[in-house]
Amino acid sequence: MADLDEIIHQPLRLRIMAALNALPVSTGLEFARLKKLTGATDGNLGAHIETLARAGYVAVDKAFVGKKPQTTVTATAAGRGAFARHVATLQEIIAGKQP
Amino acid sequence: MIDSQQASAALNDINDIVHRLRQSQIYQTASLIIIMWGVLVFLGYIANYTWPPQGYAIWAVVDLVGIAGSIAIATFSGTGPGAGAFAIRLLMAFLLFIAFGIFCSVVLGHFGPRQMLVFWPVFTMLFYALAGLWFGYAFIVIALGSSALIVTAYFYAGPALLLWMALVHGGALVLGGLWMRRI
Repeated sequence: MADLDEIIHQPLRLRIMAALNALPVSTGLEFARLKKLTGATDGNLGAHIETLARAGYVAVDKAFVGKKPQTTVTATAAGRGAFARHVATLQEIIAGKQP
Repeated sequence: MIDSQQASAALNDINDIVHRLRQSQIYQTASLIIIMWGVLVFLGYIANYTWPPQGYAIWAVVDLVGIAGSIAIATFSGTGPGAGAFAIRLLMAFLLFIAFGIFCSVVLGHFGPRQMLVFWPVFTMLFYALAGLWFGYAFIVIALGSSALIVTAYFYAGPALLLWMALVHGGALVLGGLWMRRI
């Protein structure tokens, strides 16, 4: 029986990982779009992305588009794997296979 | 550990965010196409006003450039599995609409130039409104807003109909597309 991933389980981090995981591999989302999708504030979103990055679940790429800084967040292979396991565990709980 | 209700809520949260992401991707692509059509029809109306005898040729060029541009945008901005097939289905639906429009306006209706000028934009806006039932309310708002302005132009713009249409049809599409990119 698998355990829930404590890093992903937090609601905002779950939404971040769900959005990134729905994209094709190696495709990321800009910080502004992620903020709009999740409804989080700048500070809150930044802190949770940092937690995910420290765990190796997302890669953060900072670049300049023209003169504007742009941060792009992409799910790593480890992050995609952890998310898939987390979802499988949730489904097992619903199916009654986990206590 | 969490119970099944909490697990179910978490899965619903995941489904909700994936749905919002898909809608946002559709809006990003569609807004580019709508803005492009807005600019094209604006130029089309101005050209038609300037050179009235060339009306059919001008609109044939506008339509061809618009269709080619729509395909290019849908192809290059398509993300996720099935995006290409989806774009082709959407294009086929659009072409069927156009064929039906030609049947109504030329074969059955014998519309005059003024009626043709209003029929086609309102008819294509019907396509947008129907698309909105699946892809999000923004399409419906743009379609109904544009149609209301176009029908108002038909009744009240008089001889300035082409210029009015350039502003209300082209302008509504450009503004609608820009608004769609912000939501």
